[in-house]
Amino acid sequence: MLGSRLTPDAAIAGARPGPRRSVLRARAARGATPYLLLFPVAAAIGGILGYPLVDLVRLSFQRYGLFELIRHSGSWVGTANYSSVLRDGVFWHTLLRTVVFTAANVGLTMVLGTLLALLLVRVSAWARVVLTAGLVLVWSMPVVVAVQVWYWMTNFQNGVVNYVLTSLGVGDFFQHDWYATTFSQLALVTTLIVWGALPFVAITVYAALAQVPHELVEAAQIDGAGPLRVFRDVTVPVLRPVLLILTSLSIIWDFGVFTQPYLLIGQSKITPGNYLMGIYLFEEGYFRGDYGRGAAIAILMLLIVAALSVVYVRRMARMGEEAT
Amino acid sequence: MRSRVFVALLAAVALGVVAATASAAGSRQAANRLTVWLQVDAQSGWPDVVANANQQFERDHPGWTVDVQYQNWGDHLQKLDAALAGGTAPDVVEMGNTEMTKYMAAGAFADLTGSKSKFANSGSWLKGLASSATYRGKLFGVPYYAGSRVVTYRTDLFKKAGITKLPTSLAELTADARKLLDRNKQRGFSPIYIAGTDWYVAMSFVYDYGGSIARTSGGKWYGNLDSKRSIAGLNAYKQFFLAVSRASKTTDEIHPNPYDVYAQGLAGAMLGPSWFSCCVGKYKNVTAQFVMPSHVKGQPMPGFLGGSDLAVPVGSSHQSAAVDWIADFTSTESEKALQAKGNIPNATNLLGASVNERAAARSWFVPTAKHWVDVENGNILRNMLAQILTGKLSVKQAASSASDNITRVLNQS
Amino acid sequence: MSAAAGAVRARRRRKRLRRAGWNAIALAVFAAMVFPVYWMVATAFKSDDEIVGLTPTWLPEHPTLAHFRAAVEKPFFWTDVKNSLIVVSVTVAVSIVLAFLAAVALAKYRFTGRKLFVVLVIGIQMLPQTALIIPLYVVLARYHQVNALSGVVLTYMTFVLPFSVWTLRGFIIGIPKELEEAAMVDGSTRLGAFVKILLPLVAPGLVATSVFAFIQSWNEYIFARVLLNDQAKQTVTVWLSYFYGTSRHIDWGALMAGSTLTAIPVVIFFLLVQRRIAFGLTAGAVRG
Repeated sequence: MLGSRLTPDAAIAGARPGPRRSVLRARAARGATPYLLLFPVAAAIGGILGYPLVDLVRLSFQRYGLFELIRHSGSWVGTANYSSVLRDGVFWHTLLRTVVFTAANVGLTMVLGTLLALLLVRVSAWARVVLTAGLVLVWSMPVVVAVQVWYWMTNFQNGVVNYVLTSLGVGDFFQHDWYATTFSQLALVTTLIVWGALPFVAITVYAALAQVPHELVEAAQIDGAGPLRVFRDVTVPVLRPVLLILTSLSIIWDFGVFTQPYLLIGQSKITPGNYLMGIYLFEEGYFRGDYGRGAAIAILMLLIVAALSVVYVRRMARMGEEAT
Repeated sequence: MRSRVFVALLAAVALGVVAATASAAGSRQAANRLTVWLQVDAQSGWPDVVANANQQFERDHPGWTVDVQYQNWGDHLQKLDAALAGGTAPDVVEMGNTEMTKYMAAGAFADLTGSKSKFANSGSWLKGLASSATYRGKLFGVPYYAGSRVVTYRTDLFKKAGITKLPTSLAELTADARKLLDRNKQRGFSPIYIAGTDWYVAMSFVYDYGGSIARTSGGKWYGNLDSKRSIAGLNAYKQFFLAVSRASKTTDEIHPNPYDVYAQGLAGAMLGPSWFSCCVGKYKNVTAQFVMPSHVKGQPMPGFLGGSDLAVPVGSSHQSAAVDWIADFTSTESEKALQAKGNIPNATNLLGASVNERAAARSWFVPTAKHWVDVENGNILRNMLAQILTGKLSVKQAASSASDNITRVLNQS
Repeated sequence: MSAAAGAVRARRRRKRLRRAGWNAIALAVFAAMVFPVYWMVATAFKSDDEIVGLTPTWLPEHPTLAHFRAAVEKPFFWTDVKNSLIVVSVTVAVSIVLAFLAAVALAKYRFTGRKLFVVLVIGIQMLPQTALIIPLYVVLARYHQVNALSGVVLTYMTFVLPFSVWTLRGFIIGIPKELEEAAMVDGSTRLGAFVKILLPLVAPGLVATSVFAFIQSWNEYIFARVLLNDQAKQTVTVWLSYFYGTSRHIDWGALMAGSTLTAIPVVIFFLLVQRRIAFGLTAGAVRG
């Protein structure tokens, strides 16, 4: 039954999201159904985060330190917090550093993650189970534990990485201090973050690949399309939304990352010279007990990351428009 | 039509589940319930002392229960801030002595000046602890316990190197270190392991030579590391470090832990808290301690007096009960029990003759300035030490730049 | 006939070689990725001397269960595991259901405010969590949700819902229309068709998202730490933090043992659901 409606050309053409208006769709329910479906999520998020968000915006316009926190009331200072942050040279240097850092992390994560997913498709079933199990093991490690293990593997005294590199003859890494320069510190943090992020990307892309219907692939192949054409015309349209989502999520998460760099580099080595935005927020806001400033920095971070990911988000939002 | 009912039903069920779990309401401040926040060190180190204090309190206050909740050093202040903001602060809170000033200045703690006589040995509290709990002449905390720094050393290595008596001056110690170096040629071996940016050790040298981190006059603070005496101390530290330690010059005293280096056999001695002797692995039977000597023969080098105080947050509705509990927990009997576990008790009349306690005879403490925590958190001292040891800056340049930084930070509004 | 058979055999051999090549690469990748996990588990079995020793050893020379015993005997281990399981299962179950419904609405219906909602969903995730700790705590304290598992569940839902909705929406959009339309022929209502047809098609996406939600909630630390005071109510990540939160000696062996133990439920959960992320699932659902 399905086969009769599915000619290879129709399949390949139809797989591209296009403005097909079918009779059923024209009767698209403008009724209450979509609102009912959305209501629980809206209620949950709005109910819990609504007031804190308002509070956060309000805080950003106040002078609110430990003194004010104890008395539960601050004093209005208008945009003083914002201008103090925007005039701070450290803020701009940190922003630049974080943008480069995010680009490196997201790029590596998406490329390696997609390659892993493609690898998962190509291997035998037993290898797939083994590799997936390995990815889940990696995924299941709590971040704080992963940081401890990472630190330990690279520690000055007896880090196994130093030992292996020296044994392999790559150089003399005996008591090499991986945390001496900013570049080295951030590079290590990058390996930690990418390593931890790969399972989610790989498994999600693999799940998306599993959605590519075998029939369409076979039909296209019977029609004579080579593997690259099949990939481009059948697989990628299915993958594209998921890839866009993963990229936008990665940008958001990597831009504001805090735990990994803070714990791996160690508080004693955190200086304005190696701040990332998440750490800047914590150090200049909460660690110093200046909650008003912290709120202003948080709002600024929100705006910046929104600007950074707008391309992907807009494409993703538009994709949804075409689909219906 | 059926689908809409289905959806509405599903939404209702979902919200119902949420509501059901929400009905397992959070705890309210019970009428006769005292909430105490202690660090996890107490749970693993001296749980019996805590239990005894609780029993004593409950005997004197029938109908009351004590709920001790253990905190981590890394995030206990974040928790405290949230609790203060939300009005759910505990009745008693343990604070590190360097953390006190910021909170006292913000008015976070209740004034205990009137209750001072209720606390055992309050007349002879250790100066370093008492000053950390006092702000503008008023008492806002009670000293709990302290710890100082000693030299933990390998008796076998010292014997093999021909060191027959313990050093009584810095010069003797340096000479002993040289003997150890001659006898132990392993790569990475430190006669005395000190981490490069261990500012607790470095500042001990500064205070030993009569310098200081900062001084106050007329309500303002002035960084003092660029004074002649402070620079003499820093120079002495630099010479000492370069002669005796192969640790990384830019890293702190927990990356790695000195006792791990010691347990690997790569240290003849290490400078740190006395509890370091717990974790020396297979060298347990050949480990002993002595007091770090000053550059002046016969006296100890002033050691940083670390420790904790106990305070009562202002929001507590059980302030007098809290004071009673603290009195029970810092009673003479309690302090003696803490002493038995290797801590320094909070009063001079209780001090014994252990190495730890002898080292506390000369001590120094950080400037009791509202913004001192910002100096620590900003790693100003650590950066200065890294610059000095790596030779990036001369001692004078690094000290003067750090001093200016400290002046700026301490005088923030 | 024989020439053709020979060609087929050659092609099959090449295919098998290629597959063996991919398998070898997969094993190498596995070894590289899993090494830190292996290091953690191996350390949990090593004696203290070996852990600190200058030369790293690959396999524990005298494996010991002492660290596992120390971890399990640390107060409140089983209680905190139970708490984590409760918090995570409620969070994931409720969130996935709600998120799926919302994702269907966003992906398959046109209505006013849709674009705004999509932007809001992704916008929420852009807010740094650090900034939310105190405001959220104050709100929860007002409704006595502090020091309560329900408060933690509510908090976790606000993290899990946005990315679940966002991700599931993407999966739903990615389904080719033909498969949907084919199912609608039998006259079922639009929503009924969505649920009956979409569900199996989106199943791999649902599984991936729920695994991620599970892991996020299971490993979350700072909010659980700030919200929960009684050790009897804490989650297992908070329990774990006591190993390294002390200012004194950190017991690395016990910490690694404890970490290994806390990773086990995640692995179990994944093993239970992983079969649903399988190739050919769509074929099975659509045929017949």
